Amino acid sequence: MPMTDNQGSFLNRISIRRNQVTSMDHEQELEDLELFQKHVAERFLDLVPNDSSSTTDSPAKDQSPLFSISWYRRLLDVFLCCEAEFKALVLIGRDPVQFSKPPLDRLVPDILDRSIKSLDICNAVTHGLELVRHWQKLAQIAVTAFEHKPMGDGQVRRAKKALNTLLTSMMLDDKENNYHAKVAERTWSFGRRSGAAGNNAANNKDRTNGTFRSMSWSVAKSWSASKQIQAMASTLVAPRGGEPTGLALPIYAMSTTFVFVMWGLVAAIPCQERTGLLTHFTTPRNLNWGQSMIALQEKVAEEWKKKEKKGTAGVLDELQKMEKVAQNLVDFAENYQYPADEEKTEEVMVHVAEMSEICRRMENGLVPLQQQIREVFHRIVRSRAEVLDVLDQIGKMSTPVPY
Amino acid sequence: MDDDKSAEQHVIAAAHHLVKALQLQARTSLSNEARRTLADLDSHLAAMAKAKEDETTSLREIEGRFKSAQAKIMTLQSNCLKVWDAGPSELFEYLQNVEEIRTIIESLESMMPNKNGKQNRLASQAHSVLQMAMVRLQEEVIYILAQNKQCFGHACVSFHSCEEIVVDEESMVSIDEDSVEGISCLDSSRADSEEFCQVFIRFWKDALYEYLRLFCMQQISIEDVLRMDWTFLNCRIKKWRQATKNVIAFYLPSQKNLFDQLLGEFGSVSSTCFIECSKDAMLCLLNFGQAVAIGPLQPERLFCLLDMYELLRGLCQDVDALFSEDHGNFIQVEYHKLFKNLGDSAKAIFLGLGNRIASNTSTTPFQGGGVHPLTKYVINYFMLLSEYSDILRFLLEDRVVENSGGDVDAVVRLDISSEFPCQLALHLQSVASTLESNLEHRSSLYKDDSLKHIFLMNNIHYMVQKIKNSKVRTCFGDEWIKRHIVKYVQHEKSYERITWIPILSLITGYEKSGKAVLKERCRNFSIAFEDVYKNQTGWSIPDIELREDLRISTALKVVHAYRTFVGQVKQSLSDKHIKYTEEDMEKHLLDFFQGSAKSLNHHWRR
Repeated sequence: MPMTDNQGSFLNRISIRRNQVTSMDHEQELEDLELFQKHVAERFLDLVPNDSSSTTDSPAKDQSPLFSISWYRRLLDVFLCCEAEFKALVLIGRDPVQFSKPPLDRLVPDILDRSIKSLDICNAVTHGLELVRHWQKLAQIAVTAFEHKPMGDGQVRRAKKALNTLLTSMMLDDKENNYHAKVAERTWSFGRRSGAAGNNAANNKDRTNGTFRSMSWSVAKSWSASKQIQAMASTLVAPRGGEPTGLALPIYAMSTTFVFVMWGLVAAIPCQERTGLLTHFTTPRNLNWGQSMIALQEKVAEEWKKKEKKGTAGVLDELQKMEKVAQNLVDFAENYQYPADEEKTEEVMVHVAEMSEICRRMENGLVPLQQQIREVFHRIVRSRAEVLDVLDQIGKMSTPVPY
Repeated sequence: MDDDKSAEQHVIAAAHHLVKALQLQARTSLSNEARRTLADLDSHLAAMAKAKEDETTSLREIEGRFKSAQAKIMTLQSNCLKVWDAGPSELFEYLQNVEEIRTIIESLESMMPNKNGKQNRLASQAHSVLQMAMVRLQEEVIYILAQNKQCFGHACVSFHSCEEIVVDEESMVSIDEDSVEGISCLDSSRADSEEFCQVFIRFWKDALYEYLRLFCMQQISIEDVLRMDWTFLNCRIKKWRQATKNVIAFYLPSQKNLFDQLLGEFGSVSSTCFIECSKDAMLCLLNFGQAVAIGPLQPERLFCLLDMYELLRGLCQDVDALFSEDHGNFIQVEYHKLFKNLGDSAKAIFLGLGNRIASNTSTTPFQGGGVHPLTKYVINYFMLLSEYSDILRFLLEDRVVENSGGDVDAVVRLDISSEFPCQLALHLQSVASTLESNLEHRSSLYKDDSLKHIFLMNNIHYMVQKIKNSKVRTCFGDEWIKRHIVKYVQHEKSYERITWIPILSLITGYEKSGKAVLKERCRNFSIAFEDVYKNQTGWSIPDIELREDLRISTALKVVHAYRTFVGQVKQSLSDKHIKYTEEDMEKHLLDFFQGSAKSLNHHWRR
């Protein structure tokens, strides 16, 4: 009958169009996911330092040498951008049912676990930055002392004390946490705990030697940065291709970004228990974003290995420089005798100017860096809550539980 | 004396002698100009000699002063371990001498640039003494602070009941007058301000750490908090509340006061030190709060979150007062973020209650038809919520957000009268109706319609009774209560109708029937009654009043009709057809709804 025929063809047409729309939607989605990965690649490429010093390249790169504070701020910006884009793609507007099906059902628990570990790492890094600020203050004392005209005995002594404290603290960075706890307790037990005069004398001596490490209670005792990174990296598995939703690869990209950023932060800033930090995690070379990330990974690993060998303070550029200059200055101060040699004094003033510059960069950069880390922290909290919200919705649809 | 004269002085003296000799010798043979030149040279050399002489004298004088100051310092230092112990006057004397040394150094340094070895040695010595004294003074300050430490943060905070947040007045950070004087003087004499700050900050950081330990507060990773056992976490949260309240409302303000007293005259040093000292502790507290806020959104967690939320709300002003300056702003921001997160989580749990109830379904009917555990859970949950109605109202009506350090209290509260139902009331009513739908669904699982009605009657009655007699009544209002009374009464009526009308029809309307019909009716009645008895004694009506009401109502109808019926049967037939007497019936009816199934096992002789 014509009516039915018309109806039939009408309905057919609608269903075809709907299929087209959904398939177009899906295609669009796949494109967007591809685009996301491209963006990740571009952003990381931007972070890789240029070996050739060509003036036509973006001057911005020169201003933030690799692993400097400003470079890390750029890294965190990259992270925040990627995370925002990722969330918009994968989370918002997605049918919750998809979360109970592969690949999301398998991947989401890992994502959640990684986010928790990242939160703890952010906190540890926040505390680490406090320590770095303390080091900056010590260095500043030395700079002020050296800059005092005329350079007197007392000033040099003062500078020497500050520098020794600084260097000792940097060295102690990676020792066992128990050591610090003991040192802290021994050093600071006052009043009720240590009444004996003898004890006090010993305490005073310890303190003036300057073992500053009140991080013994800033982070949970058994927490280990390297273990957390290890655990995060262990669930990174490159997906096999040909997966229908197209989500596996972007998720892998975002997860790797997560782990890389956290790893980079831990390598740079003193965190509890960094010994044995991972130096390598597999990233496939065939992915567009893989290349730049691998290049950066290799650099981080290189610097970290150097650190473990020489016992330096970490990958952060300013810290490495600070350590070197501090050593120079201490050497000068040790051998100082009044009156100072003109030549030597000039030489040392160059180092002092260097140190002053490092302090200045820290002064300008540490607080914004800390703020960014807090922003990262809160962003992760929010995203996690949104994921849990979606999962909750699926939970609603699950089979009834006999009460 | 002569040893003190430097080579320079010898040269000058020699030259002077020479000039004098020339002046004497060649008085006549010199030109006027030459004479004038010599005279100039003479006076010049004399001045130089004098200057040098002065210098030597003043150097000698300085050396004298230095030696005496040094001696005094050494004596005071070696007399006792801490100069402070010897008495404030000793300490002031010590300070005076240290000040003297500093002045000495200054004058030495301001002298002529071409210093001789003597000056250098002296300067070097003075520096050493000064350094040593500085270090010693730092120790003195810490010592004074430690002495007074007994006053603050003692284990005086009581843990009598975990419910109360007990604050001890002695949690205040205070320090006695003398000590304040002592420290102020020490402050003003210190040369190395940075080092002093560091030592000072370190001391106070550790003091605060010790204080927090009284509340068993220590840094826990977020991961560990999320893994914590619920009972344990609950306990931790209570301790956290005590710690937070004590630290923010009492300890830190008094510490800030003290810092201002001690360091106030040095500009921003006081506030910088304060923030450095308190940062770690604040972050520790805030981090724990965050870990709880991001935990699973289970209904039982709501009350903890509300407790924490309410606490933070009460402390907002204190935090703003303590941490509103530049470097403290960071903590203020984190505080408000935590506040918001706790509120969001609490809100999510509360608003998600309906969904949870709706998804709590079953495929098996509830045995006995009594009050379902779900009903009990929800209504008891309501009772608990009524304890938190204030903070819940604040949370739900809150529209002022996203304003770090903003005035969170500037919220317009809606009137809580029943004409303008607030969000809380609306939501609770919504949850209640979701519960009702759930119960309806469960009731449909019963094959027996009577039981369906008993079940609904029981549950709605329970809801009404509990809500009527509680604080949460204001959220439901009289209308709601009336409506629901009507509902359960209707179910009561429906039950009666469904169960008893068929039976009643057996023992009524028999007037025109013959003996055979009567006999039949007797028998059928017994069977029907036994059937009902077997079923319905196993049913349960937990509420005594309701049970009685129903039984009385049933008895009135049934027993009354039965009486008449029995009378008729006895008249028309014999006694032996009556299985149950009226008294039996009354007795048996008492067995209904006790929740224990019984049966009437009689042998019915046909």
